[in-house]
Amino acid sequence: MLGLPYTDAVVVVGALVLGVTSGVLGTFAVLRQRSLVGDAVAHSTLPGVCVAFLVAGVKDVPGLLVGAAVAGLVAALLMVGIERTGRIKPDTAIGVVLSGFFSLGVVLLTHIASTADADQAGLENYLFGQAAGLLESDVLVMAVLGGVALAVVAVLRRALTTTLFDPSYAGSLGLPVRALEVLMTGLLVVAVVIGVRVVGAILMVAMLVVPTVVARQLADRFTLVLPLAGVVGAVVGITGSFLATRAALPTGPVIVLVGFTLAVLAVLLAPGRGVLWRASRLGARRRRVRREQVLAHPDAPVRGIADRIARAGLRRRGLLDDTGLTPAGATAAAELADRRALWSAWLEHGALVDLPDAREPDPTDLRGSLGDDAVAQLRRLSTAGRP
Amino acid sequence: MTSDDLVIVVVAGLVGTACGLLGPFLVLRRIALLSDAVSHAVLPGIVAVWLVWQTRAPLPVVVGAAAFAVLCVLGIDALRASGLVASDAAIALVFPALFSLGVLGVTRFADGIHLDLDSTIYGEIAFVPFDSVDLGGGVGVARAAVVLGVVVLLNLALITLLWKELKATTFDPAFGATVRLRPQLLSRLLLVAVAVTAVSAFEAVGAILVVTMLIVPAATAYLLTDRLVVMVALAVGVGWVGAVGGHALAVAYDSSIAGAMGLVCAACFVAALLGSPKHGLLTRRLRRAAAS
Repeated sequence: MLGLPYTDAVVVVGALVLGVTSGVLGTFAVLRQRSLVGDAVAHSTLPGVCVAFLVAGVKDVPGLLVGAAVAGLVAALLMVGIERTGRIKPDTAIGVVLSGFFSLGVVLLTHIASTADADQAGLENYLFGQAAGLLESDVLVMAVLGGVALAVVAVLRRALTTTLFDPSYAGSLGLPVRALEVLMTGLLVVAVVIGVRVVGAILMVAMLVVPTVVARQLADRFTLVLPLAGVVGAVVGITGSFLATRAALPTGPVIVLVGFTLAVLAVLLAPGRGVLWRASRLGARRRRVRREQVLAHPDAPVRGIADRIARAGLRRRGLLDDTGLTPAGATAAAELADRRALWSAWLEHGALVDLPDAREPDPTDLRGSLGDDAVAQLRRLSTAGRP
Repeated sequence: MTSDDLVIVVVAGLVGTACGLLGPFLVLRRIALLSDAVSHAVLPGIVAVWLVWQTRAPLPVVVGAAAFAVLCVLGIDALRASGLVASDAAIALVFPALFSLGVLGVTRFADGIHLDLDSTIYGEIAFVPFDSVDLGGGVGVARAAVVLGVVVLLNLALITLLWKELKATTFDPAFGATVRLRPQLLSRLLLVAVAVTAVSAFEAVGAILVVTMLIVPAATAYLLTDRLVVMVALAVGVGWVGAVGGHALAVAYDSSIAGAMGLVCAACFVAALLGSPKHGLLTRRLRRAAAS
């Protein structure tokens, strides 16, 4: 499959399942600004795994997963409970539960190690993920769990979305808000339990957060963000695990670094809202304002680099030469003065203008945004207003 | 109790003191989880120092780790400042990435050397007594105790010198800015102190205990008092209870010392959550029952 050796193919498929599931389910946590609940749940699965091992006596995967899930769920509910008492803030509640459960996990680990059970070796690797040891049956279990969780999200899409964005409105609709919130937390726990097997507890939090951050830069509608996060998760999972197997590096960290790179790129480059996009738009606007400044006052002394650049730009356009404004430049300057006069007329008399509908005027192009009729009215109003 | 046990308890108590001095400010500023992020993000710093200078000596390690701690904090700040990512998501993006870099560095370049993951993540407080320095006069003192003693003094100096300023900007950053207290600068100073504390304690006792000691005693103290100075004192006190009680527990059950200390701290938190005179769940319920 994919031209990969069998064991590597299993890892890639596992990462794909993880990416889709954690991408979709993480969205609910990230948009509620509880990204780090995933981190605490991930750490809290450790004592669950230990207890499951102590009870079962063998390292059988489904048993360990159940232990991890129970511990994760208990931790998540404790966090919500501590927060609800009022005094302790969410981040502190997350921190307390995280350190408490993790301490318990470490104590249980040393206990297990001291019983010198030969089968216990590798239990502590659990924290860092053990993608290389992933079996086909593990991936099957993950796929079933993830599939069920995604199906639940698909069926309850509406109710979950309403509860996520406006719990009090959801309550007024008669939706069981508490139960839905517990369900959301439970789904998050499912994603975490799937993920700790592949990338490990510490890196799991990135798998929950990266897809949503990326998807959020690309789409504004929640109905789009949700599936998009799943796609991004899949892409990150496949790319990361493929690179890791090729370069013989640990899978979890490579997946996380791929995801982090993608998230940073999305924040920088996202069309319309990315940091660079905004900066370039701002720069273009600044340069235009400077050019208009020169057009309005071509004889002002040259000052500073920005001024020189603006003048060079005007020369390139044939609006300016060594003697001053060219005829074309004079026309442009006159148009600019006219536009500015129109805009101040709009600010002064805009309320009196009779418009067929409510439109937002564009300061740089009043005529284009409001139409010739409004401009004619404005001209009448401004000349009438003059003594 | 042997002298080795005494050293272990004292070192843990010093960690508790250093963390207890700073923890309340983190909890009150709602940036408790930044300590967790920082304690993971320093790993590449430790690895880089090993790669470049082949050393695990405390000073270069602290410098390298602190550099990455600062990088982590600034990275989170930059992402948050873009206005496109909420601050919790920014934390959740940056520290796993830095931690991943560290893990890759360890597996790729430092495999098989002393810098294995278990010892850098868990630390091992049980080994603290075996690493001592001679302070003159032929008496050996545990190196961790010396390092942490210095950190405690630095933290103490920081919060006593800047007490009023820290207090004002913690409870009301806008007011602090109005009276020109430079909230941003104070916040960064606090974070650098947290980073240095975490890094120096990390080396001796491991990440779990550091994060625990920064958050749990402060949260416990917050349930018990409304006064900041009392809160700091109580946080340090709970840290020492955790150190002494955790050691006793670990000896009795032959378990991980750092884990047991964390458990005792967590038990203190649960006790305060239930039984705090003013904010406890049980006491509130009893009071309500008595009132009705």
